[in-house]
Amino acid sequence: MEGVELLGSFQLSESVKSPKAKTEPAIIVRNLVKKYGDFVAVNDVSFSIKEGEIFGIIGPNGAGKTTTVECISGLRVPDSGSVSIFGLSPLKDRNKIRKFLGVQLQQSAMPPRLKVGEAVELFASFYSDPLDPNDLLETLGIKDIKNSMFKNLSGGQKQRLSISLALIGNPRIAILDELTTGLDPEARRETWTLIEGIRDRGVTVILVTHFMDEAERLCDRLALINHGKLGVLDTPEAIAALAGGNRLRFVPSEPVDDKTLYAIPGVTGVERKERYITVTGTGDLAMSVINSLAKIGVHVSDIEARGGNLDDAFVKLTKEEPPNDSRGVAKP
Amino acid sequence: MSTIGRNQKSKSDNSTGHFSELLKVEGKLALRTPVGIGTGIGLPVILLIVFGLIGNVEGGTVGNTGLTIIDLWVPTIMVIGFIGISISALPITIVRYREIGWLRRISTTPVPVSRILAAQLVINLIFALATILIVIFGSELIFGAQLSVGIPYFVLSIMLSIAEIFSLGLVLAAVVPTQAAVQPITGGLFFLLLFLSGLWIQPVQVGGVLATIMYYSPAGAAVQALLYSVYNYPPPYTAILTMIGYTVIFAFIAIRYFRWE
Repeated sequence: MEGVELLGSFQLSESVKSPKAKTEPAIIVRNLVKKYGDFVAVNDVSFSIKEGEIFGIIGPNGAGKTTTVECISGLRVPDSGSVSIFGLSPLKDRNKIRKFLGVQLQQSAMPPRLKVGEAVELFASFYSDPLDPNDLLETLGIKDIKNSMFKNLSGGQKQRLSISLALIGNPRIAILDELTTGLDPEARRETWTLIEGIRDRGVTVILVTHFMDEAERLCDRLALINHGKLGVLDTPEAIAALAGGNRLRFVPSEPVDDKTLYAIPGVTGVERKERYITVTGTGDLAMSVINSLAKIGVHVSDIEARGGNLDDAFVKLTKEEPPNDSRGVAKP
Repeated sequence: MSTIGRNQKSKSDNSTGHFSELLKVEGKLALRTPVGIGTGIGLPVILLIVFGLIGNVEGGTVGNTGLTIIDLWVPTIMVIGFIGISISALPITIVRYREIGWLRRISTTPVPVSRILAAQLVINLIFALATILIVIFGSELIFGAQLSVGIPYFVLSIMLSIAEIFSLGLVLAAVVPTQAAVQPITGGLFFLLLFLSGLWIQPVQVGGVLATIMYYSPAGAAVQALLYSVYNYPPPYTAILTMIGYTVIFAFIAIRYFRWE
């Protein structure tokens, strides 16, 4: 019995060391609860984040996204539940965690007369193995405003400076709250590329956002938080599909009844308009429908498929759940 | 991203590396912010010139003190410098840092947020020392004050004055919640302390209950101790004990109520 246990744990730790197998969670959040007076900001939220992934937290304003990440970074003390970062506690092991955790706070200003270059140099001095301040400023496109004071920066420049301060310490985990708020479309895309570059170097990223295009583009997995509760946790594609996102419109060579269509794996909805049939569902819908119909001798033409839309899913999922109701699409 | 190299200057997270960087940055910020220099050094310089000129024009001594106007006002001007630094510059900066989330931002880094406060105190201490030197040498060399500074008495009085007045500044930094509130509160207190320090009239000139109130106020006790010290007399025990008492009370309140966010 003991031998088996030892062998099991030995194999587990071996697989963690292998660079490809990043299966061990970097961050584990268990039953997190945070109240402000009578208001329950975060209500029994649990999830885990794998090392090296970009984990998105989406949800409407005031849903508890920021409070959740503040509990992870140790800025807030949860009322109950726990957070573990590589086995460390954000409260008890705060000093250890702050060395490898980079944080970008939502709405955090700097001393008005502090210059961009000074801020980055200052933060570089806080860490044992920082990135080169000049290179980082260059990458973020703010090297030419190195000598500008904070009070004279535009919203986008402030945002880039804030991102650079989160990354200057060369962190293993970066928490980015409202990453591209205030940036113009071009700067947003550049920032996305930057974040992907960070992920490719093995940094685990937690991204709080209310932009669905950003979540779709960057995140490996998404947690939707609504009224303090975890609504859905899945890949952006799967969440998009929950809105009945995957759609396939076609014209059958001969009439097909609804029962036949609903029997096809993945189909969740059927609509008819004139000679067109539109089925909605999950997975590889086109392949599944075409193959199943071909087996009963029905051919399809005029095919039009479109992928799930995360925006639609977001609206649907956040409207569906009334406050303090655990019913719905919860998927632990 | 691969273009971003590690920092070539192998920076370490030892306490001196980041603290000297913090001092450098806080020092630059203080020099760029007019209020600190203005009230901490500018005001004493102006007062020195004003009282120096009055003394030269009027001549003679004040009452039965045997001291000229500039002789008598030297400690007051010095203490007003400390008040300017610790009642306006220090709390305004700390309250701002807290309100804009700068202290909170620092608290997410490996550096303890208390280091910012420490850097602020060091920078303001340097300003206070500059004020002391300007007032002593300015009054003697330019306006002919006849000081005979007793170094041990003077060092003791200066240390207690600064401890007491800086602690009062930290009380303001601790209990005043917003930048909007800090200006009127520090402004009102600033003028009260200027009066108690004897700027308009010295306690020896008023006598009676008002003089006693002045002597036992935070500003007046400091002025009294310094007045004895710059003429090489031991400062009165009452002044010493008054300053120690205020320091203990102010420090207790500041520590008890200080909030980082």
